[in-house]
Amino acid sequence: MNEAITTQDLTKKFNGLVAVDHINFKVKSGEIFGLLGPNGAGKTTTINMLITLLKPTEGTAYVSGFDIRREPEKIRERIGVVFQDMTVDRNLTGYENMWLHGKLYNIPEKELKRKIKELLEFVELEKWANVELRKYSGGMIRRLEIARGLLHTPEILFLDEPTLGLDPQTRAHIWDYIRRTKKEKDMTILLTTHYMDEAEKLCDKIAIIDHGKIIAIGTPEQLKKMIGGDIIYITISKENHNIKSFMEAIKNDVSEKIKILNTNTLAITVENAPEKIPLIFDTAQSNGVKILEIKYSRPTLDDVFLQLTGRKLREEEGSFTDFVRRIMLMRRRRMR
Amino acid sequence: MNRNLNALHAMWYRQVKRFWRAKSRVAAMIIQPIFWMIFFGLGWASAFRIGGVRTLFGGLDYLTFLIPGVIMMAIFMFSYMSGISVIWDKEFGYLKEILVAPVSRRASILGRMLGDSTVAMFQGIIIFCIAYPLTPTLRIINVPIVILVAFLTSLSFTSVGTIIATKMRSQEGFQLIVNMISMPTLFLSGAFYPVDTMPTWMKYLAYINPLTYGVDAARILLTGNGSLNLITNVLLLLILSIILITLATQAFKKATIE
Repeated sequence: MNEAITTQDLTKKFNGLVAVDHINFKVKSGEIFGLLGPNGAGKTTTINMLITLLKPTEGTAYVSGFDIRREPEKIRERIGVVFQDMTVDRNLTGYENMWLHGKLYNIPEKELKRKIKELLEFVELEKWANVELRKYSGGMIRRLEIARGLLHTPEILFLDEPTLGLDPQTRAHIWDYIRRTKKEKDMTILLTTHYMDEAEKLCDKIAIIDHGKIIAIGTPEQLKKMIGGDIIYITISKENHNIKSFMEAIKNDVSEKIKILNTNTLAITVENAPEKIPLIFDTAQSNGVKILEIKYSRPTLDDVFLQLTGRKLREEEGSFTDFVRRIMLMRRRRMR
Repeated sequence: MNRNLNALHAMWYRQVKRFWRAKSRVAAMIIQPIFWMIFFGLGWASAFRIGGVRTLFGGLDYLTFLIPGVIMMAIFMFSYMSGISVIWDKEFGYLKEILVAPVSRRASILGRMLGDSTVAMFQGIIIFCIAYPLTPTLRIINVPIVILVAFLTSLSFTSVGTIIATKMRSQEGFQLIVNMISMPTLFLSGAFYPVDTMPTWMKYLAYINPLTYGVDAARILLTGNGSLNLITNVLLLLILSIILITLATQAFKKATIE
């Protein structure tokens, strides 16, 4: 079996609102596949359909070779899931949570004991095995959930926003576990994230998803090549009246790819930014344009998203509902 | 099959373990029925000591009449409230862990209800032990059969609790419904006064209440007096509990994540 997951026009509507819109992608066995997109893009809904918790409105998908519509039980035996919000019993200890999971997945007692020990060591929680989860931090619970998701050696592991709400060190730690899981256990992993660095560092292949649609798909390198070079951002003084002629001159001398981001910021895509920056200064001077700030970056997935949608990936993070959600999530994590 | 038995075992274990962890809750749950026995029971018992009233309670002293009722009340209250754990699981996400596991939902909810009933039984036994010195005439030899009857009663009400919980989104909503229904259920069960002397319309309500049969069977077994006979009680209780368990597993099967 070469493809671990294949979707065919997978669609989900909630009361007529389209959350996931005819999505098509393939995940090869043994790769880490990322669904990258802002909050509300439809990532979790997609995962919930693939793990058979939601029925698609239209289309279907094959997970481990089984149709999510027809054989959900077969799929459930073969997948491990780490949900976005916590799904542990905080009144029980780490060991007990693992044990319950093992029983739900029909692992024989002897093997179960050995595996729990092995996996708790893998996520460095062996010393906490007999402590109730209410004393765990958010990062520790996440690690336990990852260990739990691996307990029944699934063919495919689903991770929904694995590092949401965690501090930078813990995130780095979790990334490390994910990489080691792929390497040591040769598992297929599908993860969703709205952190572009996470997608870039972990994933072999990324699908960028926005408003329920996949807008680009490829390896991180392929996606970044869509931009076609480095990007130079210039902020110019607002009093400039010669922007038009300045932009014309840039188009002629520096690069055709120039874009106005807002009233006084321009983005110019070039092959080699350090070489072109002096030229831009010269052009500005000869056109009487005053440059306030200039910076350049190698293209990131953020730029790709910006290019494709005209918005920044992170923009949506600032919305009020998201802010409230985040606070609730953090509180919940702390409460447990 | 083996898979589902494992799931049942796991869910049973979880309920028992969780309860065991929260020992302070055990005390709180037991204290209330004890207050009922002492303040309500002893108070009325001395009021009813005037001539002739005893025939109302089948010739029993009121406290003796009341104790089987209070034990069943405690079991009923705990079983009924236990449905709230389904709501907790919805709210704190554990439900997803269960729903995505390759086990039948029937098995997992049945395991949970059996676990809660086990805990309810344990509480009933403690209350019996405390009550026994107050009325040493109780027939201690029948206790094992009482436990079976109580277990069936408990399963009926964990089922009712589960049905309500699967329909509710919040703990507050659940508590509201539970509080609303639990009072009439108690008063219509014959735990505090005999069903025989109720007005006819009230009797009909009492006879669709599983608790009535649980209380009556426990009273017959512990004191030798009751309004129906033991076999009728147990049979009706069995039928009602099977219906309720089926409805509860069905309701849980339909439960989805939002």
